[in-house]
Amino acid sequence: MRDLQVTLNQTQRVRLQSAIRTLQELSSTSSSSAVAATVAVADVIPVNLEDGILKGHGTSEVDGQLMATLCGVVERVNKLVYVRALRARYKPEIGDIIVGRVIEVAPKRWRLEINFTQDAVLMLSSMNLPDGIQRRRTAVDELNMRSIFEEDDVICAEVRGFQHDGSLQLQARSQKYGKLERGQLLTAPPYLVKRRKQHFHHLEDYGVDLIIGCNGFMWVGEHIETGENDMLEDQENQLEKDGNSNAKPMGSQDEEKTFTPLETRRHICRIANAVRLLSALGFTLSLEAIIDTVKLSFSSNISIKDMLAAEFYVQTAEREVQRRVSSSKKKA
Amino acid sequence: MVGLSSGEKHFIRGGIAQDLRSDGRQRLDYRPISVEVGIIPQANGSARVRLGATDVIASIKAELGKPNALQPDKGKVSIFVDCSPTAAPKFEGRGGEELSSELSVALQRCLLGGKSGAGAGIDLSSLTIVEGKICWDLYIDALVVSSDGNLLDALATAIKVALSNTGIPKVTVDLGTSPDDQPEVDVSEEEFLQFDTSAVPVIVTVTKVGRHYVVDATSEEESQMSSAVSASVNRHGQICGMTKRGGAGLDSSVILDMISVAKHVSEHLFSVIDSEIAAAEAAANS
Repeated sequence: MRDLQVTLNQTQRVRLQSAIRTLQELSSTSSSSAVAATVAVADVIPVNLEDGILKGHGTSEVDGQLMATLCGVVERVNKLVYVRALRARYKPEIGDIIVGRVIEVAPKRWRLEINFTQDAVLMLSSMNLPDGIQRRRTAVDELNMRSIFEEDDVICAEVRGFQHDGSLQLQARSQKYGKLERGQLLTAPPYLVKRRKQHFHHLEDYGVDLIIGCNGFMWVGEHIETGENDMLEDQENQLEKDGNSNAKPMGSQDEEKTFTPLETRRHICRIANAVRLLSALGFTLSLEAIIDTVKLSFSSNISIKDMLAAEFYVQTAEREVQRRVSSSKKKA
Repeated sequence: MVGLSSGEKHFIRGGIAQDLRSDGRQRLDYRPISVEVGIIPQANGSARVRLGATDVIASIKAELGKPNALQPDKGKVSIFVDCSPTAAPKFEGRGGEELSSELSVALQRCLLGGKSGAGAGIDLSSLTIVEGKICWDLYIDALVVSSDGNLLDALATAIKVALSNTGIPKVTVDLGTSPDDQPEVDVSEEEFLQFDTSAVPVIVTVTKVGRHYVVDATSEEESQMSSAVSASVNRHGQICGMTKRGGAGLDSSVILDMISVAKHVSEHLFSVIDSEIAAAEAAANS
């Protein structure tokens, strides 16, 4: 993950520091009402050990006291006490939407890199076949795996479960999963992506598909209609193209016709820059935050490349302060 | 560098063709440059330049040495680039040597001129102390901390900024009784002479992707290039050196076109670097 480096002049630095300080004050006042308490490593967790407390992850009993082994927030669920780290590696759960990149085509499966400690596995049987028929995968299917996904392809899938060795198993049986083309992949720290009901967003105003993967990988691209006959049509087109071109690379004229239209591309770049900016600032990546940032850039008449410059960086931080102040006022 | 799917490559090529790259820049736009000076206090001059996610550090050390017998009135400069394994896993061990030597040679060609020292961006005659006996040896070392494309431009910028930050100590020479004696040299700890960097050129790399040229390519865009021409241009718009990379052959008219694009872009780059140096010096002094 590459960080955004902004050089701020003196006034911008002062504004940014005051905005960050205000945000910290707001978050501390809001969380003091909650039961959560932050601990660092070797902090004692105040708990009565005679009550039959279950010692969960991130804790250990030392000298009759319960101590934290992670830096994070103490969570209590009935009799279970554990420490949840704030900036941990991606922790998958069943049903998570993931965006990953194929790194290997192995017998009857694909291996994907998903920003986790291990590579995820997508079995051939967990993937729809190009002809859409539900049938047993044969040896011919296994040989044609590369025609479905190749190395370095970007894929959207769902977590199906864990294998016995701890690695992830994915499935991509629905039409909305599968290969992602005509767009760009963005990376962000995984702890900035919260689990929501919807991770696939079709932004009609911009004609752009936004997929927020729970593992921190995000896809912004041109909107592609997902229909039942997609696979069939693709297969026919593929055969025609192969027949005509004989595996010759597309001429530059043909390629130009297939490029994403300029207006859609502008929206894609704007949304991508909004995501890069929010992840550099450390703000949660939700659809509202991203759309808000894009609208702010439109209203401030900032060109797309200036979205990554110092002025807009500070403006976004200040806007977030305003948003939190107004939302806390509404609650109170 | 991670691989790119064919869909992403298509998207990048489309962006370059339509003059709107992945981060919103146009074809001839540079990424924001951020500069720090004086980060290595033990060196005579040092600088750190960040060009997007590309991060390089340059340091200059001046030591007393004997001039080359063929050029007794000139000092010596040697440039060395090191690619740190933190930039990419493939640089671990000896993996980065090929790239390092390629970058060192390209920088030497652009900044030091020909074998006789003619046309050098760094004035070597200003480095003599006693002609034929003692001169300054400048060791320019550059470290690539993080690589996201366009290393040559970032390195040249870092060297230029480090040179502007360099202070050569003042020397008092005691010539001794006979001309054959080795003179006594007293190197001052307090007084320094600032190096004259008005003639130091910058390097602009023009990358050809498809039918268009881009300046300041990221590593994703570089993976799509057919060839790249790096030209070093000085303040007067003269070309001081040139390097061509990439296996694709180029027509001579295309090369001349790319050089003129580099010249055009260099004017803007000079003004950006000058203002960044001024800001960094002000920040370092305050």
